[in-house]
Amino acid sequence: MGRKKSSAASGLAALIILCVASLSLFTVYVKEGDCEREGECGPLHTVQLGAAEVLQPVRSIFAAVFTPVTNTGERVMGAFDNSREQKLEREVQRTEELAAQASRLERENAQLRELLRGQRSVYEYGPLAQVVAPVGDQFTQRIIINVGTEDGVEPNRPVVIGESTLVGRTTEVSRHTAQVMLITDQMFAAGVRIVPPAQFDPASSEISPAVTAQNVSYGQGLLGTDLEGYLGVDLVSTSARAEEGDYIVTSGRAGDKELLFPPGLYVGKVESVSSQDIDQFKKIVVEPAMNPQDLEEVRVITDWAGRNG
Amino acid sequence: MEHTSVIRAALVVAVAALLDAVVVPYLTFGFFSPRLTLIAVVFAASPLRDLQAVLLGFFGGVLLDALGGELFGVGALGGLLAAALSARASAVRRKGTERVLLAQVAGLAVACYDLLGYTARWLAGLDVPQLSEYAVWGVLPDALINALIAFLVGGWLLQIVIVKTPHSWE
Repeated sequence: MGRKKSSAASGLAALIILCVASLSLFTVYVKEGDCEREGECGPLHTVQLGAAEVLQPVRSIFAAVFTPVTNTGERVMGAFDNSREQKLEREVQRTEELAAQASRLERENAQLRELLRGQRSVYEYGPLAQVVAPVGDQFTQRIIINVGTEDGVEPNRPVVIGESTLVGRTTEVSRHTAQVMLITDQMFAAGVRIVPPAQFDPASSEISPAVTAQNVSYGQGLLGTDLEGYLGVDLVSTSARAEEGDYIVTSGRAGDKELLFPPGLYVGKVESVSSQDIDQFKKIVVEPAMNPQDLEEVRVITDWAGRNG
Repeated sequence: MEHTSVIRAALVVAVAALLDAVVVPYLTFGFFSPRLTLIAVVFAASPLRDLQAVLLGFFGGVLLDALGGELFGVGALGGLLAAALSARASAVRRKGTERVLLAQVAGLAVACYDLLGYTARWLAGLDVPQLSEYAVWGVLPDALINALIAFLVGGWLLQIVIVKTPHSWE
């Protein structure tokens, strides 16, 4: 005997009703608050936050299983990748050159620290957070960390490794978890400044006062990742200074809006700079200081001097 | 004698949605990622009645939306389409060719889902690649690889959903 099928009419009616329901869900989701401001989290976002909270232990278990596997895979691929070896050789050469400059920089840094004492941004950190797992789809680069509102973490706060190497910013935060949009996500944007190596110390995140002087033309622009996956700085004038090996740090500028990032967070180094005669802006590719695959522990900067000022 | 277990079908889809949210981020390479929920919906919905199939697809998609953290509604619509395609395909299937046919349906469902996701991102004002580039390097390989995955795991999924009961004279 054949299988019983409900009538085609009822199936079609259900299909149409559920299609409308799906579109309504999408509309509500896009229109509702996106949890990036306190008290504006809509019901569908709340459902997703609750699910993230519930899934955290499961994600931790899978992360423990998958992380060694993915790391091993990368090492195996790296062993066959000759370009990586060449890149390392160049890195060694560059390191030797930098070592030669180290003593001079050390002296300069000592002087600059004296000058900057009292001017440096003071960061307040949340507790050390473990990266639970990556989340998202083909278009996103996000991770879940195991700190949330109970740890003083709020949406739109910078996330760093070490003292001040920028990893991304928090987006949706639940009681015990927070989603972090990495700097390599296509939605990420931050105002940045391009600083020559002599003027910035990535270890201490101290910038020479000369960088912010009126008469210098160091490049400033908007950090972002294009659809091909390249991290770069847009809107840098062709007349501004930007050279390979320069440091990229947050500028902390956001017009009249509340600052998303304090100035001086280290983002990465300029990998290449190019421009043509007809271009209005330079094309700058950035080598990020962090590798999303290597992230294990991060910290959220919960507040800093001058945030509301 | 065979009959279909709706509970088993729902469980298969629920487990697939959970795996989609937890495991798939590790298996995403460029524009390709396994669409386990859609594959599960296609195979679990195929032996069900039309109404049961679309309900399973819709709620499986809603579960994927809730667990996945992406644009809500895209998974629901994708699951619904996958179930509807599967239900239509099951009306013309022939004994012995279910797996091949449903693998093709899974590929088609994944292509539809990718395009739905693309449209949704565009409507939400998010960045999207060029459509032609995404269709060639994103949708097509994604659909083909997922169809292959569906073909490989489809038989097993059908075995879970379709319960064989002994004849009364056995």
